[in-house]
Amino acid sequence: MSGPAGRECQIVATEHGWAGRFRAMGSPCEVLLESGTRNQAASITSAVAAEAWRIEDKFSRYLKGNIVDQINTANGASVKVDDETANLLDFAATLYKLSDGRFDITSGVLREVWTFDGGDHIPDPSSVEAVLSRVGWSRVQWARPVLTLEPGMEIDFGGIGKEYAVDLCVAHIRDSQSGPGLVNFGGDLAISGPPMRRRAWKVAVEGTLPDAADHLIDLRQGALATSGDARRFLCRDGVRYSHILDPGTGWPVPDAPASVTVAADTCTQAGMTSTLAMLEGLGAEKFLAQQDMLHWCRR
Amino acid sequence: MADVGVTKMTKSHRKNDRSVSATLAAATCALLGTGASAPVDAQEEPKWDFNTSFLYYGEDENRVQDASLKSIIRRLFADDKSLSIGVTVDTLTGATPSGAIRQDVAQTFTRPSGNAAYSVPAGELPLDDTFKDTRVALTANWTQPAGEKGLLSVGMSASKEYDYLHTGLNANYAHDFNNRNTTLSAGIAVARDSIEPVGGAPTPFTPMLDVGDVSNRNGDQDKDVLDVIFGVSQVISRDLVMQVNYSYSMSDGYLNNPYKVLSLVDGVTGDTLPRTTPLPPDGGPSGQFLFEGRPDERTQHSLYTQAKYNMNGKVLDVSYRYMTDDWEIDSHTMDVRYRWPIGAGSYLEPHLRFYTQSEAEFYRLSLDSSQPLPQFASSDYRLGNFDAITAGLKYGWKTRNGNDMSLRVEWYTQSGTVPAGQLIGNQAGRDNYPDLNALIVQFSYRFSQ
Repeated sequence: MSGPAGRECQIVATEHGWAGRFRAMGSPCEVLLESGTRNQAASITSAVAAEAWRIEDKFSRYLKGNIVDQINTANGASVKVDDETANLLDFAATLYKLSDGRFDITSGVLREVWTFDGGDHIPDPSSVEAVLSRVGWSRVQWARPVLTLEPGMEIDFGGIGKEYAVDLCVAHIRDSQSGPGLVNFGGDLAISGPPMRRRAWKVAVEGTLPDAADHLIDLRQGALATSGDARRFLCRDGVRYSHILDPGTGWPVPDAPASVTVAADTCTQAGMTSTLAMLEGLGAEKFLAQQDMLHWCRR
Repeated sequence: MADVGVTKMTKSHRKNDRSVSATLAAATCALLGTGASAPVDAQEEPKWDFNTSFLYYGEDENRVQDASLKSIIRRLFADDKSLSIGVTVDTLTGATPSGAIRQDVAQTFTRPSGNAAYSVPAGELPLDDTFKDTRVALTANWTQPAGEKGLLSVGMSASKEYDYLHTGLNANYAHDFNNRNTTLSAGIAVARDSIEPVGGAPTPFTPMLDVGDVSNRNGDQDKDVLDVIFGVSQVISRDLVMQVNYSYSMSDGYLNNPYKVLSLVDGVTGDTLPRTTPLPPDGGPSGQFLFEGRPDERTQHSLYTQAKYNMNGKVLDVSYRYMTDDWEIDSHTMDVRYRWPIGAGSYLEPHLRFYTQSEAEFYRLSLDSSQPLPQFASSDYRLGNFDAITAGLKYGWKTRNGNDMSLRVEWYTQSGTVPAGQLIGNQAGRDNYPDLNALIVQFSYRFSQ
């Protein structure tokens, strides 16, 4: 495999078949396959990687010239978007409504003042206030297929992209009829079906207490996704600031769990449910219990 | 400002959070351009598994009563490794047949301890009622995968009761073939048991002595047991699994029951010979009784076959075992269980078991004093010719927090016959084989976390 710098796939034999590895969306990505030859595993991995890189190229906010860049640099002009982008915008609009405005794809600009590196730099309230004036999906005009942002506003699919890519890649494995597989993009994962030679795919989820052993999950159908990261936070004067920002205040959600992992039918559902739970702060556990989904909430 | 497609921030609170997952599912379908996805099937592997049961076994006519409490704690680790520890505590009380025959007159016997005597009324089966014991048993097993398709298990066992100490080691390996449709397994177990009879082990064929006389006792004895098992289990279809096992067992050492005697009888009347000396003040046996003697080796072979058939959730489990040994005991066991689901998590399971065995080659109802003594002899009813039936019903259910409970009630009945050729004189008119009826009640509780 070859391609742009860093875009390479690696195939290794594992105890249960093959693992195809590559990097995309800033995460290590993995495709686990149970059957077939090394060449078949390589061809499926390269197709999965190509799909992941396509989504990354199209929706990364760091790349110039893609649709997100066109939208973010339109400076108040309307942008007509393609179907896939429109579907993502529709989805974001639904999530915004579903979360009472707490899930907002225009909140990415808050990162101009917040850097979650484990340090103690807390921005001063006036600068947060200044950035907050450029946040708010309610101020966006979205009339499919035309999107219009106020000047200075930006959108960011970072909260959806990885889970969306996992689901599309799993669908690809399912369509390829190549036997069951697991797609894992930096801990967000889904399977195309139950394994043939074992009862279930085995997935380790970090323990809920700092020193607790991992939970071992038997996955026979569906997906797992995690929101939150034990390494991404700020700490000052004994107060721990999570990296989950409330777009209503511009400040970290108080009392958010360290991370939340959810099992659901699709990786997108699992990821969004875990994100919505994080945004609930102290109410995360209650929210998760109401969803009637298998979940792990770490504080 | 166009209204279409513009989302206004709503301050109204979500009426019900269940709608969140439903709305999210619909939105995800639209995003991915797919129909409804197959529902998630994820399960956290439990880390601890506790299995506790209380068993009551009670024979009628005040014979053996056993109350047993058993707990198995299993700790599951990553990569399918597990450690299992079992503890069982039994309390046994009641009376067991001494091996002597019924007489038309009252009989007296020296207790196994040699410290006292007891009497049995005329016409009644001689039972030794000093049977009282507490048994504590421990097991430990470690199981782990060996390679991709193998499973290795090693364990140890130990149990202690007043007059018995068991220590054992075991190992088992199972290997999957043929896409896990076939499993071959092999196991080995070795045990060293020490028999520490009350008052010491009596020399075989020596007489039951008067109270206070322990001159025929030999202290503790031991035996070694080796068990080897080979098995194959085969998935025949989605609904049918079959299993065949062959097992071999070799016991070597002291295999007698130190408390069992045989009546030494008149060759014509069949009645127990009376003692030849006056009964001492502290008491002693009223007649002549000789301690039993068995071979010091026993080799058993058994073949077991089982079929489990799933009929839309109802499971029929049928098994048959044939056992033969060099004591010339042949036995057949037929076992049928039918698990019948009767609602969410609950089921009824009727159980029927038929057992039949032929007597050991050295089984004797009594010893004929007009004939030379045989090399081996025992009147232990468990070595006799008998049939047994177990019939029962189990009810199992899930508790509100997902744990399993079950209650099993079973009746056991055993009836035997003494070969006609062994009956001498008056013995022909008596009920010689001690039939047995027992009630078994078991309550089990299992939970995982």
